[in-house]
Amino acid sequence: MNGAPAGVIQGGWEYVVAAYVASAVILLGYAFSVFWRYRRARSRRDTAL
Amino acid sequence: MGKGVWPFVMAGLGLALLAWGSTWGLAFAPRETYMGEVQRIMYVHVPTAWNAMLVLTFAFACALVSLLRGGWTWDARLEAAIEAGVVLSGLVCIQGSIWARPTWGVWWDWDPRLTTTAVLLFAFGGILALRQFVEDPVKRAVWSAVAVVIAYVDVPLVYFSVRWWNSLHQLQSTPETVSRAFHWPLRINAFGVLFLLIGLVELRARLAFLRREAESAPPPPGRMAEALGGVR
Repeated sequence: MNGAPAGVIQGGWEYVVAAYVASAVILLGYAFSVFWRYRRARSRRDTAL
Repeated sequence: MGKGVWPFVMAGLGLALLAWGSTWGLAFAPRETYMGEVQRIMYVHVPTAWNAMLVLTFAFACALVSLLRGGWTWDARLEAAIEAGVVLSGLVCIQGSIWARPTWGVWWDWDPRLTTTAVLLFAFGGILALRQFVEDPVKRAVWSAVAVVIAYVDVPLVYFSVRWWNSLHQLQSTPETVSRAFHWPLRINAFGVLFLLIGLVELRARLAFLRREAESAPPPPGRMAEALGGVR
């Protein structure tokens, strides 16, 4: 027993950090992927013209 | 400011809002009484879930317009919305698993909300794969639009699953079910994901349109000479 009331979650910051890091990696990674593919497609079109 | 710049501005604004809302949620919002610090996952999980359903609703609208009116612009928007919806649905599952472990004691449970969300991810992921395999652009546009209309049936099931069935998942997060102290970081992050999404969907649609143009364009002169050489 750690003196905490029953049904109350203690700590858990590691889960919070994991969720925010996963969100940042996936959202920024996807954003970067879209920017990069778009730039590549535009430069291909420009060289084809 | 050029017309082509606005998606970059929207995406940048979205990222700035996400940074602001997340800082508020992590550092300044109060602890929740029962879930403690773990509840802070809500500030990224709920906005991601809302926007996943929103962008898949946009995909449904694009599919209908594409089927009824045709036009490559709507097909390009459809492809962009499906891809963004798959990314957000996958992220929702990951965030939800991380939140489930300390609160439910398991990483995953086949309860109605989680199962319908997993179905959503695999259904729209499958449609994205279908688009990669079909070479004929007309068949690709029609088949994927029909598939989106069918797969969209799962979106209201995801939303109402916590009311219709006995679910381990809590009820939908709305202003009525969330304490006022938690509203602002939740709203800021919701708009952050929304603005980021608008910017990315527009850019991804332009990318799909450029690829479609490249499919129908004649090969560049160098390639033409290569091809002719190959024939000889």
